[in-house]
Amino acid sequence: MTNSMAEIEDTECMFVIGSNTTEAHPVLALRMKTALRRGAQLIVADPRRTWLAERAHIHLQLRPGTDIPLLLAMSQVILSEGLQDRAYIEALTENFDEFAASTAAWSPERAAEVCGVGAGDIRRAARIYAQTEKAGIYYTLGITEHVCGVDNVRALSNLALITGHIGREASGVNPLRGQNNVQGCNDVGNNPVYLPGYQEVADAEVRAKFSAAWETELSAVPGLRLDQMMSGMLDGSVKAFFIMGEDPVLSEPNAAKVNRGFEQLDFVVLQDIFLNETGRLYADVVLPASCFAEKDGTFTNSERRVQRVRKALDPPGQARTDLWILQQVAKALGSDWGEQSPAQVWDEFADLSPKFHGIRYDRIEELGIQWPCPDRDHPGTRFLHQGAPIRGKGLLYGLDHVPPWEETCAEYPLLLTTGRTLYHYNAATQTRRSEGHNEKQGHPFVEVSPDDARALGLKHGDRLTMASRRGEIEVRAEVTDRVHAGVLWMPMHFAEASANVLTGDGKDPEIGVPEYKVTAVRILTS
Amino acid sequence: MTEARITLDGRTLEVAEGDTLLDAARAAGIEIPTLCHDDRLDPFGGCRMCLVDLEGTRRPVPACKTTCADGMVVNCGGERLQRVRRTMVDMLLADHYQDVAVKDNELERYAVEYGVEQPSLRFDRRGAYDDRNRFIGFNPGACILCDRCVRYCDEVMQCTALEHAGQGGNALVQPTQGKSFLDTTCELCGGCVSTCPTGALYEKQATRNGAVTEQECAKTSTICTYCGVGCSLDLNVKDGRVIKVTAETGVGANDGHLCNKGRFAFDFIHHPDRLTEPLLRGDDGELHPASWEEALARVADGLGAVKQQHGPDALAFLASSRCTNEDVYLLQKLARAAAGTNNVHSCAAT
Ligand code: FES
Repeated sequence: MTNSMAEIEDTECMFVIGSNTTEAHPVLALRMKTALRRGAQLIVADPRRTWLAERAHIHLQLRPGTDIPLLLAMSQVILSEGLQDRAYIEALTENFDEFAASTAAWSPERAAEVCGVGAGDIRRAARIYAQTEKAGIYYTLGITEHVCGVDNVRALSNLALITGHIGREASGVNPLRGQNNVQGCNDVGNNPVYLPGYQEVADAEVRAKFSAAWETELSAVPGLRLDQMMSGMLDGSVKAFFIMGEDPVLSEPNAAKVNRGFEQLDFVVLQDIFLNETGRLYADVVLPASCFAEKDGTFTNSERRVQRVRKALDPPGQARTDLWILQQVAKALGSDWGEQSPAQVWDEFADLSPKFHGIRYDRIEELGIQWPCPDRDHPGTRFLHQGAPIRGKGLLYGLDHVPPWEETCAEYPLLLTTGRTLYHYNAATQTRRSEGHNEKQGHPFVEVSPDDARALGLKHGDRLTMASRRGEIEVRAEVTDRVHAGVLWMPMHFAEASANVLTGDGKDPEIGVPEYKVTAVRILTS
Repeated sequence: MTEARITLDGRTLEVAEGDTLLDAARAAGIEIPTLCHDDRLDPFGGCRMCLVDLEGTRRPVPACKTTCADGMVVNCGGERLQRVRRTMVDMLLADHYQDVAVKDNELERYAVEYGVEQPSLRFDRRGAYDDRNRFIGFNPGACILCDRCVRYCDEVMQCTALEHAGQGGNALVQPTQGKSFLDTTCELCGGCVSTCPTGALYEKQATRNGAVTEQECAKTSTICTYCGVGCSLDLNVKDGRVIKVTAETGVGANDGHLCNKGRFAFDFIHHPDRLTEPLLRGDDGELHPASWEEALARVADGLGAVKQQHGPDALAFLASSRCTNEDVYLLQKLARAAAGTNNVHSCAAT
């Protein structure tokens, strides 16, 4: 997030796109609810009529995978009606001409046709967003999990830059992180091309610094991204997997293909708190680890705040902290790091990472600190791009519509999109072990519009088989007008009806994030 | 910001515009008892516990709902107010009739403070309601109708799953139409429980084995793992088990708010499915328990063999974005410094 969460309450216009905030980020959504009570305008772009969409001043209920046309058309309206922030564009952006040219092809009328929304609504949304003083954009996986995920984000950043809605309190572009430590995971170098603290593997000086600290030579070969690891198993370039707390067999798209890959591996280690599907089927060794209640450390939240995690319990039985396990594995591989405490591990990271240098355990006992925080006296950074974009000038992008990897056809006429519900979390290994949560929502389901239900002869609660080109699953129908005809929605939480049996190989070419959000399917009724 | 100057218990205070007398008193470290007040809700003025004397008015005024105005002279203490408050506690206790599962709640603490051992009256308020759900317990007999829960649900959650029904002696707080929380617009966030000052609303999981007091729970303050917001929460541990999760108002990103997962989805910590020993795949294709020595030796052999035969880049390391920064830092160091490859990533799209 470029802004802090508390700032949301002061926003005057919230543009929420591809985020079912009240269910996926319920406590952050409370800030949005407060802003609503204070009279903020709300624009929601989502294929479903979510809680926020129901209360929105404008709900753009677009077809999945048509975000770019929508955003380009909004940009066109802003430029053609002269609503842009000319001074900001002049002083603090570049590549305006290419961007402006790319909007020319996308009139609200043309976008309306592709997106399935009203041209008038596109115009109104553009005007409200552009003409409100404090306007924030909030998005999540509905934007990123597409073949054009990166371009989707660029389209949003274009919108913020041309209206100057960035680098100010309560105005910015705010991805809401799905998992508790997505931010931290990136920060500490869990990335094939970045060493800790966003320092590039490709940079020889950076490598030399880490080599010296870690007392070993470091490889300059860029690593594989997750999607490349998945295909690497099939082409034989990846032979062994060490997995800490993930279940790729369930969570990666095109499950059948992922299974074929794992079958070819020589060696698999799983370090986890439960025996998951990947471990059950393929692990040679399973190492029992600890959950968050059993260890000390830090998480970094969506607003870049590093916060303390504290141990309340001992791990059960022979289970051990992840830190201990990793130290033992390193030692077994010939690298003895000693028994560093979590604080010492953090210090090693912060010593090596300028943006995090000033954050230390003793400073975050009470309240976490938001990075960048270069030194011990620095208070941390509440919002980014203040005064000017970090890179000097905000780069505007020329864009065009990128159709989904898979489109509907006569054989697979329905578009399936996926998401999270309020009562479960991801693969739900934790929430489905809560009786009370299962009682509230215990079965996989798919939302079907009343029109489609009628055409298919489906009633609420009917069992049905849903098939894509890659596989099929059984679920119950939830007939609801939350979705439009032609669009289906299902939660990703249920292993027995895993959406990834259906999802395909589409992914963003630049970063490899899979297109979980659009799959062509058909429904077979029995 | 325009400021006002008021006199509180003889002290002159500068206050910001819009501050209530309660805000001003707290900022000055002067204590005023409150029951229906929650900083996160709109001022209500229902319980009269916070009455103070305001010069120029005949009757005392509620500090939580009176906005400071320049020149106000206010007294928060004194024998008369003590008596009034004692009477208030007595009357509220009459409502709070039943034994409750959560001891030492706000009301019972005031009862001790004001020396009300037994209420002079007893008034049993019973509403029938469908108790089917595993998280939120409700004991209407202990409810004092302060409406904190109702207002929390309306103002903060905007769910409107609780209602103040009936009038006078029949007045009642209940889940919508007395239905189960599972069958209303309730999202099971438990915010109503967190704001209840009497223990009428309580965590069922915590009281499964009988009543608990605050002193019996060891609290560890940590961070929730259910999304990227990073709510601060306290794990309440009794006899080696987490029995409830609470969150303090005014702390962290969440100001005491939690969602149903953060507050109630902790069964997994003590679930029998937890892995409690290392497992090795045997020749029979099954996983068998093993010692840590055996397991670590097998990891070193397995990774070592692949590295020797196919080079370090045939190894891939995958971390969950749910682990701590320190865990993940060491995992990437394991990949890079110990195994010699940059093949380290996680499922982290935003
Ligand atoms: S706290 Fe002021 S009236 Fe209840």
